[in-house]
Amino acid sequence: MPNWFTPLAGICALMFAATPVLIANAPYESTMGLVQKIFYVHLPSAWMFLGGAIVCGIASVRFLFRGDPRQDRLAWAAAELVVLFGVITLVTGPLWARKAWGVWWQWDVRLTSSLMGWMVAVAYMLLRKYGGPGSDKLAAGLALFGMANVPFVYISVNYWRTIHPTTNVVPTLPTSFGLPLWFSAVTFLLLFILLLRMRVRLEEQRARIDTLYLSMDA
Amino acid sequence: MKLLTAILLIVLSCGIPGVVRAQQPPPQQQDEFVPIDQLPPQDQLPAAPLLVAAYSFVVLALFAYVVSVARRLTNVQRELERLEGDVKRGGSA
Amino acid sequence: MFGQIVWLILRKDFTIEVRSLEIAYTTLFFGISCVLVFAFALVQEGRAPEGGAAGILWIAIAFAGTLALGRTFERERQAETLRALLLAPAARPAIYVGKLLGIIVLLTAAEFVLVPLVALLFQAPLLAHPVWLALILLTGTIGFAAVGTLFAAMLVRARSRDVLLPVLLYPITVPVIIAGVRATGVLLAPDFDAGVLQVWVALIVSFDVVFLTLALWTFEPLMTD
Repeated sequence: MPNWFTPLAGICALMFAATPVLIANAPYESTMGLVQKIFYVHLPSAWMFLGGAIVCGIASVRFLFRGDPRQDRLAWAAAELVVLFGVITLVTGPLWARKAWGVWWQWDVRLTSSLMGWMVAVAYMLLRKYGGPGSDKLAAGLALFGMANVPFVYISVNYWRTIHPTTNVVPTLPTSFGLPLWFSAVTFLLLFILLLRMRVRLEEQRARIDTLYLSMDA
Repeated sequence: MKLLTAILLIVLSCGIPGVVRAQQPPPQQQDEFVPIDQLPPQDQLPAAPLLVAAYSFVVLALFAYVVSVARRLTNVQRELERLEGDVKRGGSA
Repeated sequence: MFGQIVWLILRKDFTIEVRSLEIAYTTLFFGISCVLVFAFALVQEGRAPEGGAAGILWIAIAFAGTLALGRTFERERQAETLRALLLAPAARPAIYVGKLLGIIVLLTAAEFVLVPLVALLFQAPLLAHPVWLALILLTGTIGFAAVGTLFAAMLVRARSRDVLLPVLLYPITVPVIIAGVRATGVLLAPDFDAGVLQVWVALIVSFDVVFLTLALWTFEPLMTD
């Protein structure tokens, strides 16, 4: 593991411990009350979900057109994180929605396209696991299409009348809400980087095992 | 004796609801609906369980993932060391 | 040169298919069974559910399309003709477009049968605005087939390809299918609103452009060993 891993992990752990304090001290929102506090984990995990899809897509493009196996390992790790943060987003969202909108789920553009984006990531994982040889390139192709979905997910909520809040909420946040949000977002970003590095290391070790097996049979 | 106790209990259990009902005023039969703007607090959905569930899920999911990656890493590390030992001893698979 | 290759591939596929008509018949019959299953499942007291026709039509097209894609490339795999095609001095995008047009023709032929069937079984006035319907079906089929041809071609040498094709295809093409269903729904509504329909068709077209661009760009690196 690189030198920056343990110090960063320490910082991330401290920030994770401090986040609930900041969230508890944030004011209540006028219409949603206590349940709005889910926002401070729902939004950062949604950002990691979409950001992970972009990381996976870019790494996939570089793997497809340059053949660099490190990019392939990065893409696989990023896809797994997309599944993880996607699950967190898609569970915390409905828990909030149950109170704020009265329903667990609505088939509006934002929710539907997010669910589809998550399913693309799950399909990526299935393809890597069960696709056999050559599935690294195929998965890279899939990841490209998944990345094309991300801008659609983001701006869809501004152009269709949906029940989900628009992207105008974050730029216009008062500081009392903004501080816990951005602190939580940085914590999630650090966690994303740490998890990504761990997962890439797993693939690197697997690749070393493969090379060792090949060298032994020679 | 037992029969007498049983009869006494039955009579009392029939009588007590009657006593209770006599002390409370009979419910008004509703013949019109009255609108209100907000539900009274005891009918609204409590937010705290949802909030707790959300945060618990986040922590559990992240923890489960870290454990999964760590476990896979240890397995791979173990196999790598075994293989390197084999190679060093000059043997093949 | 590009057009020549596309035409050659299209002619080759058409010639092979016409000899046995295997894929055409099986895809068509599968589409019809799909619609019938929906009819049996959803019809209550002899009446179909309101507004169900649009969704059922597009589901039948999606399922039949997946089958057709799988069977077309299975045929290529068995005869190793895909490798031969790739070895030929032909631009890869031209090969992709040739296969794509073949799939579109096959699906369009299936739709010629499925549309009247759905209109009949679900009492839906699908043929009220034939030009609009043709436009919606054509753009939607192009979008679905664009992604489908790419994925089916790249899965030819993968394991578990039969089950992986729907798993990969549906999440990506869901936006096209949703837009197609909504556009068809607008068509079926008693108050026909051309403006709303135009918006939905424009959306399908934009998806088509994105999918075709991505597919043409990635076909070559995906098909090389």
